Amino acid sequence: MNTDLSRLALRNATILIFTAVLVLFGLVAPGFLSPENLFNIVKQSSFIGIAAIGITFVLLTRGIDLSVGSVMYLGPLIAGFAMRDYGVGVAGGFAVAILAGLAMGAINAFFIVRLGIAPFIVTLATLFFFRGAGTWMTSSRQFDFDREMLDFGLSSVAGIPVPILLFALALVIAHLTLTRTTFGKQVYAIGADPEAAKKAGIRTGTIETGVFLISATTASVAGFVLISQIGRLDVAFGEGREFDVIAAAVLGGASLFGGVGTAWGTAVGATLIQTVKTGLIFSGINLYLQPIALGLVIFVAVLLDSLRAWRLQVSQRRAIRAEVAD
Amino acid sequence: MTDTPVAGKLPGTGATRPGLAATLSRRAQDLLLSDYFVLYLSLAYFIILIPFLPNLSNPANISNILSNMWPLLVVATGQTFVLTVGGIDLSQGSVIGLTSVIAGALLATAASGSVLANAPIWGIIISEEGGLLAGHTGAIWIGIAAMLATAALIGAINGISVAVLNMPPFMVTLVGLIVYGALAIWLTQSENIRPLPESFIQLGKGDIVSVYLGEQDEPRIPRRQIYSFVTYPMLIAVGIAIAASILLSRTVFGRYVYAIGANRRAAEISGVPVRRVIVAVFVISALCAAAGSILYSARLEGGRPTLGEGAFLLDVIGAVVIGGTSLFGGRGRILWTVFGVLFFVLLSNTLNLMNLSSFHIDMVKGGVILGAAMLNVLRERLIRERSR
Amino acid sequence: MSHLLTLQDLSKAFFGVHAVQGVTLNIPEGAVTGLIGENGAGKSTLMNMIGGIHQPTSGSMYWRDTPYTPRDTAAATETGIAFIHQELNLFYNLTISENLFIDGFPKRLGLIDRKAIDSRTRELLKLLDLDLAPDTLLGELSPGERQLVEIAKALHREAELIIFDEPTTSLTPREIERLFEVIDRLRSNGKTVIFISHVLGDVERLCDHIAVMRDGQLVAEGPTSDFGIPEMIQAMIGRELSALFPDRTAQPGAEIVAEAINLTQPGVMKDVSFQIRSGEILGLFGLMGSGRSELARVLFGLDPVASGEIKLGGKPLSGGPQARIRAGLAFVTENRREEGLLMDAPISDNLSLVSISRFGRTPLNLVDRPGIAQATADISDQVTLKAGDISVQPAKALSGGNQQKVVIGKWLMEDPRLFILDEPTRGVDVGAKYEIYTLADRLAAEGGAVLIISSELEELMGMCDRIMVMNQGEIIDTFAEKPWSQKAILAAAFREVAA
Repeated sequence: MNTDLSRLALRNATILIFTAVLVLFGLVAPGFLSPENLFNIVKQSSFIGIAAIGITFVLLTRGIDLSVGSVMYLGPLIAGFAMRDYGVGVAGGFAVAILAGLAMGAINAFFIVRLGIAPFIVTLATLFFFRGAGTWMTSSRQFDFDREMLDFGLSSVAGIPVPILLFALALVIAHLTLTRTTFGKQVYAIGADPEAAKKAGIRTGTIETGVFLISATTASVAGFVLISQIGRLDVAFGEGREFDVIAAAVLGGASLFGGVGTAWGTAVGATLIQTVKTGLIFSGINLYLQPIALGLVIFVAVLLDSLRAWRLQVSQRRAIRAEVAD
Repeated sequence: MTDTPVAGKLPGTGATRPGLAATLSRRAQDLLLSDYFVLYLSLAYFIILIPFLPNLSNPANISNILSNMWPLLVVATGQTFVLTVGGIDLSQGSVIGLTSVIAGALLATAASGSVLANAPIWGIIISEEGGLLAGHTGAIWIGIAAMLATAALIGAINGISVAVLNMPPFMVTLVGLIVYGALAIWLTQSENIRPLPESFIQLGKGDIVSVYLGEQDEPRIPRRQIYSFVTYPMLIAVGIAIAASILLSRTVFGRYVYAIGANRRAAEISGVPVRRVIVAVFVISALCAAAGSILYSARLEGGRPTLGEGAFLLDVIGAVVIGGTSLFGGRGRILWTVFGVLFFVLLSNTLNLMNLSSFHIDMVKGGVILGAAMLNVLRERLIRERSR
Repeated sequence: MSHLLTLQDLSKAFFGVHAVQGVTLNIPEGAVTGLIGENGAGKSTLMNMIGGIHQPTSGSMYWRDTPYTPRDTAAATETGIAFIHQELNLFYNLTISENLFIDGFPKRLGLIDRKAIDSRTRELLKLLDLDLAPDTLLGELSPGERQLVEIAKALHREAELIIFDEPTTSLTPREIERLFEVIDRLRSNGKTVIFISHVLGDVERLCDHIAVMRDGQLVAEGPTSDFGIPEMIQAMIGRELSALFPDRTAQPGAEIVAEAINLTQPGVMKDVSFQIRSGEILGLFGLMGSGRSELARVLFGLDPVASGEIKLGGKPLSGGPQARIRAGLAFVTENRREEGLLMDAPISDNLSLVSISRFGRTPLNLVDRPGIAQATADISDQVTLKAGDISVQPAKALSGGNQQKVVIGKWLMEDPRLFILDEPTRGVDVGAKYEIYTLADRLAAEGGAVLIISSELEELMGMCDRIMVMNQGEIIDTFAEKPWSQKAILAAAFREVAA
């Protein structure tokens, strides 16, 4: 009877929360549901969204990446130096940001995969390290980009702003990678059971290296995309963003225990966070209170996730007698 | 999670190589496995740097190192409990900020409307005449009780979410970090509350034994040549650390904490009150954060909502982990944390003396955390080999 | 009949100790060969050599009469050998077809060709008569269905030889029947099967040939018609059954120690009632999935029960494990690693875990360390633990048998009235088994009551005063008369109950 209904509700918790949030803010603040505003929300989601899509790969393998906030800072910064001092242009800068992300991901992966140190500790250390490297390069000063950077960030193709395009591109690539490639399927397998994955002949070290490369690269790109809309890089840019990024993935259904999560879900999670943030601004709630509301939304989502996990466990318990449980 | 190489085996090749136990001398092994390893490391670091940093061993600097150490030790003590039980507490920083605001709002001896008029607590808890308790006898004790009670409530919420609702500690306390931090800032609209009563400030700065190292026949002792060694923060921190150490290593409760951290299911079946212990551990962690908040607020002579923000938390966890406490539960000691905190504070201090800027300090800190983690991998491998 | 695989004088020694010695065996093609033997008889080592996990110390193997020297598991897979273990190498979050192809997918335009894998999967599932969609998530399947998926994976890799290692331990009777049908079908399709099992009835029913191992050597071999179950046991243990068990030293008394009355939990158990008297060892026999471990968890307050009552010493039991431990219950779970021990903690910490609160000294509840050291030393003597310094050595450094003694020892420190032992001798060698049986006997002799849950009927027949048989969550029958009627007990355990 209502067990089916509650299961359905648990399975689609994020969508339900999303709908509730949209309706709520739509009622409170007229204009919130206007197409321009919704469009704007998606555009603003791209920053956290792109990075969160990358970290989803890490979470799927039971790992964690705390360094993304610092990568968001150092990646675009290196790109900025390349653009200023070597005149590589925005496209070149974008490529440099990707390369810098790959390099930072490789540093994380080296310590995690080759030396066998826990991802939490390694990425905690590189969080300090990458940010320190960045502030050292700028001598703790703001870094200003050329006008062409802003031109890129504010441009659009066929009426669609570049940040949204890149967000969509990241989503499509990640989705195809996770659902339609051997690598993606092996990422899920490792998250489900690392031992069995090894026995099944999966090269777990290679896959783990891959996920940390992806996470750092998307973080670097995400930073580049947001910076291109602002035109300058503050010293504190990206600080604490690792938590937003992880929260977006978890909101979108990714489990911190590995094996569960999708690129779509994460994109929805990131958009949900931005929707709540924008909605809170629209409804004129005190600026300082807004994180509280956001925190509560995340709390509810995590609570529903643990309820879902618990229900799954119960339903997987062996039925010994052919009676219906409940 | 990761492809940890099995002791004695090169990953991938299946060939055996001589174990660590064979390559390291017995004495080196003992040193590496000693409870005092991080202390030795700190002392060696200190001694090696003295020739390069002459100011390092100045009484003023040592007094400075110590005074930086006490509040961090108090907070890290609480984190040690949580890590040992197999959890993590990211909300400690926001508890510090929130309880600092509470201290300010209740105890401030005066307040300026031009600064705080927009704060929701203005006119209700705090006004031009100061905080709610300003001027009352025993006010600071009531204020401290309010800080601790708030922390206990937050700890209980964290603990119940983890133990009863089975939510991951990382996410629960992450939400706490966001929510309580925002609450603290909202309460004062991001303003600091000062001044605090002198008796409260004494808790963070008060000397008990000071040493004068100047000329003996000076008629007036210059203030800056008095060096504080035994201070109120020291007494408070050492007292808390000793009590915590006894609690963790010598009591039934402590045994429960280790057992749950080592194997929660086995502990449950063996009759350990798992849920109660986990809730208690999170409460302890929050209480320690509040105690740390008393020391920090008193030292800074004000209630600050932004206290404990940002990288502070990583200092706490970093210090505990460097001490040797495992992030995965089941292994941890307060004594280790004392040494870890000492090492961390010493490190920051020496980097400051080298005139390194904050970004260099960040880089070195990152490197040190990694180095400590690698040493830990080495230690665990040694322990495994020895237990065979 | 031709031979698919030939083992010629095969030996494997670890550090000079022979685990397998001079085994010469032909595996006939298109037939089912049963391999039986006690734990530690060398079956796994033998199979690991075939599977490429271990390399033989001496001797040789031939695959279709050409030398076969697998360097690793991949080489064995390549040759056409597949293993089906108790623990399956499958992933709950992937679909059936994705599980089959996890080590390599066919691609179109650089992406996984879903159509191709689904149609291939459908083909394989049909072969196994498994009516499931290829895109069903594995997590939604029952244990039996999962095992069939593992078999489909073997077929997908075109395995010629499929080795089943204790495949029935996690299956319900119905699922076992289905598995056997599938194995029959594999045989008629020309596949070769090696079937390893402790359930001798299954071996008799399924196999064409039987090979028996003991102490690393092949001690008997021949067509199934040459063997009856008594002959198999005789060959496996090389002595009479009675010598495996200590003599019982006490008779059940009159006092009822524990009593269960009409325990019912929908979907799990129905009207479970029994009594245990002081000095009695009661056996609970049932197949995996009969509800036996669930009953133990209910008795211990770990799982809920909808109705019914449990009494200990005449008083009703309620609450969780803590309250029941205080009332005098002890529970050695079937899962030592996950539920029994703190593997990284010292032995003494493990031994004192249950009774630690008794060592708290007021006012601060400080633990009485000398007291604990004394008590844990006494108890490790009592259970004849073979270990180094128990205050330092971690539990994981012990052998399986000694680990089990630690688990039993930690409960002994509480002087329990009712001792529940769930699969107490799983993964334990013969010598340690004997010692564990002796402990059970002593518990009973001292006036306690013991409930042994086991899927090894032999050990229950050797130790118990009475044997209850559980099937589909009900107590089907209770046997008390000696000599035991193995046939009747097995019949009760296997009987399908109309739901």
